Amino acid sequence: MTTADPPPSSSTYTPPPPFNTSTTPLIPIYQGAEAHLYKTTFLTPSTPAALKIRPSKPYRHPILDRRLTRARILQEARCLHKLVKEDVSVPAVLGLDWEFAVAADNEGNRNGNGGSWLVMEWIEGEVVRVILERWERYMKGLARESGSQEIPEGEAEKVRGLLRKIGAAVGSLHKAGVIHGDLTTSNLILRPFSPAAANAPEEEHSSPSMEGEIVMIDFGLASQSVQDEDRAVDLYVLERAFGSSHPRTEKFFEEVLVGYRESYKGAGPALKRLEDVRMRGRKRSMIG
Amino acid sequence: MIAIGLEGSANKLGVGIMLHPSDGSTPQVLANIRHTYVSPPGEGFLPKDTARHHRAWVVKLVKKALREAHISVADVDCICYTKGPGMGAPLQSVAVAARTLSLLWGKELIGVNHCVGRMLYAYYRKIRSLTLLDIEMGRLITGASNPVVLYVSGGNTQVIAYSSQRYRIFGETLDIAVGNCLDRFARTLHISNDPAPGYNIEQLAKKGKQLVDLPYTVKGMDCSMSGILAAIDGLAAQYGLNGEQKEDEEEHEITGEPVSNETLSTRKPTRADLCFSLQETVYSMLVEITERAMAHVGSKEVLIVGGVGCNERLQEMMGIMARDRGGSVHATDERFCIDNGIMIAQAGIMAYKTGFRTPFKESTCTQRFRTDDVFVQWRD
Amino acid sequence: MSVSLETIDLPHLSSLAVHVALYKDVQNTSYLRQQLLSANTEFEYAFIDATMILSRAHAVSAIFRAVNDYSNERLKSRNIHSEIVFSLSPTNNIADSFRKFGISDSTNNLLVVKVSTTPNITHESVAAHLAQHVQGSSIPFDDVALAGISDVAKIKKAYKLGSLPSAAPNQANGTHGDGKKRLELSVLGAIALRGAT
Repeated sequence: MTTADPPPSSSTYTPPPPFNTSTTPLIPIYQGAEAHLYKTTFLTPSTPAALKIRPSKPYRHPILDRRLTRARILQEARCLHKLVKEDVSVPAVLGLDWEFAVAADNEGNRNGNGGSWLVMEWIEGEVVRVILERWERYMKGLARESGSQEIPEGEAEKVRGLLRKIGAAVGSLHKAGVIHGDLTTSNLILRPFSPAAANAPEEEHSSPSMEGEIVMIDFGLASQSVQDEDRAVDLYVLERAFGSSHPRTEKFFEEVLVGYRESYKGAGPALKRLEDVRMRGRKRSMIG
Repeated sequence: MIAIGLEGSANKLGVGIMLHPSDGSTPQVLANIRHTYVSPPGEGFLPKDTARHHRAWVVKLVKKALREAHISVADVDCICYTKGPGMGAPLQSVAVAARTLSLLWGKELIGVNHCVGRMLYAYYRKIRSLTLLDIEMGRLITGASNPVVLYVSGGNTQVIAYSSQRYRIFGETLDIAVGNCLDRFARTLHISNDPAPGYNIEQLAKKGKQLVDLPYTVKGMDCSMSGILAAIDGLAAQYGLNGEQKEDEEEHEITGEPVSNETLSTRKPTRADLCFSLQETVYSMLVEITERAMAHVGSKEVLIVGGVGCNERLQEMMGIMARDRGGSVHATDERFCIDNGIMIAQAGIMAYKTGFRTPFKESTCTQRFRTDDVFVQWRD
Repeated sequence: MSVSLETIDLPHLSSLAVHVALYKDVQNTSYLRQQLLSANTEFEYAFIDATMILSRAHAVSAIFRAVNDYSNERLKSRNIHSEIVFSLSPTNNIADSFRKFGISDSTNNLLVVKVSTTPNITHESVAAHLAQHVQGSSIPFDDVALAGISDVAKIKKAYKLGSLPSAAPNQANGTHGDGKKRLELSVLGAIALRGAT
């Protein structure tokens, strides 16, 4: 998982138990608006795991806060659990606490900030965003050397293959009846087929490897649905993410849809609906 | 350079006069007056009646503003007016008034996007006041120089941040605006529209204690309000709290005695409880989508603008969130939160300085006018 | 009899030591079960039918859940040891969890767990007590040993995972490689999510 965005140091933040007293290292990976993500170990000292904590939000009414935090961690865990059973490539749920545990002080009083947490299987590999950025830098360098904007067929085919794999992964997700809700290239990890390849240093000036399996992560906004509209919006979000983050690969986005179309029976109607969603875009008026 | 601003996109008609001294010193507000159309309790303001109000009052207000500012017509450089978005009929009334003044006095016309006017105005005020207060605050100004803006009013609910010469909408309501939701619930309870329905809901909410379960609909950085309104209207009907307040209605708050949690969860909610729950729920949603946008663009500052931005509970919640992220919240104070002519004059004069003009033929108004349609020339 | 009693270090919950021993060919299960039924405090253990345990991670995840619930003062059953047996269950039915995962008179393969909830419970005291009372051959608590014991069909049935293939991935993009890994991860999810529905 990505370590590209170091979280701001938050010395005042106390994680919920048992992590408040844990002697096991918690390595901060990312602090978003909703959740804190750490790399740690779970069940055994040698099993790497991703810990996601949804801290309580002190600005909210405590009853509402508890209700939301609980509902969301459960929603995420249920989606992941369902997907693991259906053999969709997502991190498995290893541990969970939705009870909103609050650390006890010396007198045993439990008040203060609590939170819910979810421990997931650690996924080796690099997020697709990083791989595509590296590839785009490589292509730029190549274009400078050769003076031509032409992308060599081998390189183009490599990216097409990666994008088809992404489409197939999203298709398997939708087939299982889950909508991701936030598909971006930062939420897709390319897990190398062999563990050794994961640790091999990538050379900055070479074309990055695109071998491996796509694993979808961060189901914080996921929901269960088999509606074409929801599926189409999921794809549209991914399409926009490609457009804004990876201009050089945008022209290959069609390959994602090719991979998607081949992945399950319901893909056709969802893709048809995608055309409507694109047309609609964000053209809504501001009048209430 | 002097600009008159006319604002009448909703039920408030405002006239403001703004002076930008030629030596580049601090701009001054020469006049800022307003007259509000108040509809009877249980009713919203209808476009037709609001437009009639604006037509009846615009001449009086312009004359009064000129008197207050101690200037004559000859001193005025341009007439700025709200082009949209807003309610059609009131917008048209004000546009007609602006065109008439432009022709009558031979002054340039500047059509202003209401939303951009608000943000620019709030922004400008913040920086000026901080500069005056303390030069040391300069650092803070740099920190706050690119805030995430929550724009909340009767017609708008948007989370906006500035990037590459445009205000980009990161999130918005998928149906009705937050102010609209509050106003409509005020109508359900027949709460007075004087001075404003949202203000009266806020006062009532302060007496509420019990949180009732309402839908909470956030989708990424967007949110939805219509389900909440339907649910709370339903609860009001279920408990017989809709319509005018009944004589025999028990008011638990009056005793002033603390209510135990147990009693709270079993007793029947009051009107105050419903207002409290509505505020807690919708403001939590607004703070949540604002926080998401802040995390997304890496900003620590929030600026709340628009009429709902006056709400103290919203400001408080936003403050707690921003503090936890190591930032702070700026909200425009009450006088400037509600629609006024000054913000239109200010946005207009800035555009005027860059050479922008609205030709007479194009001096229309439009109900739909997206904030991200405007190319911003005055910022970099 | 010598006991291969392992004291495991649970990441994040290291303040409570957990002692685990695995036995095969246990001769006196009905005696052990009787002590449990008569609530003999000397025999406060989690006695688990080891054929219902797929892997080490499977057992440890139930132990983690029980120890964490114990630390948060929200046990659903009598004590931390009964809670470990209950935590193996994908449902909230305590009696049913004991029937499926607990010791029975026909149990041959036994997994014993003891948590050091008080200072006088130590590796030595537990090892000595087990050596004295369990008649069976102690084997290492690892995946190899468990693989020779576990009844995959019964485990699948208990977790309602009958549709999972036992071997060979079914798709090109299938994540969890061999069927056993996927079964294990599905079981861990079921343990973590118990009570969430």
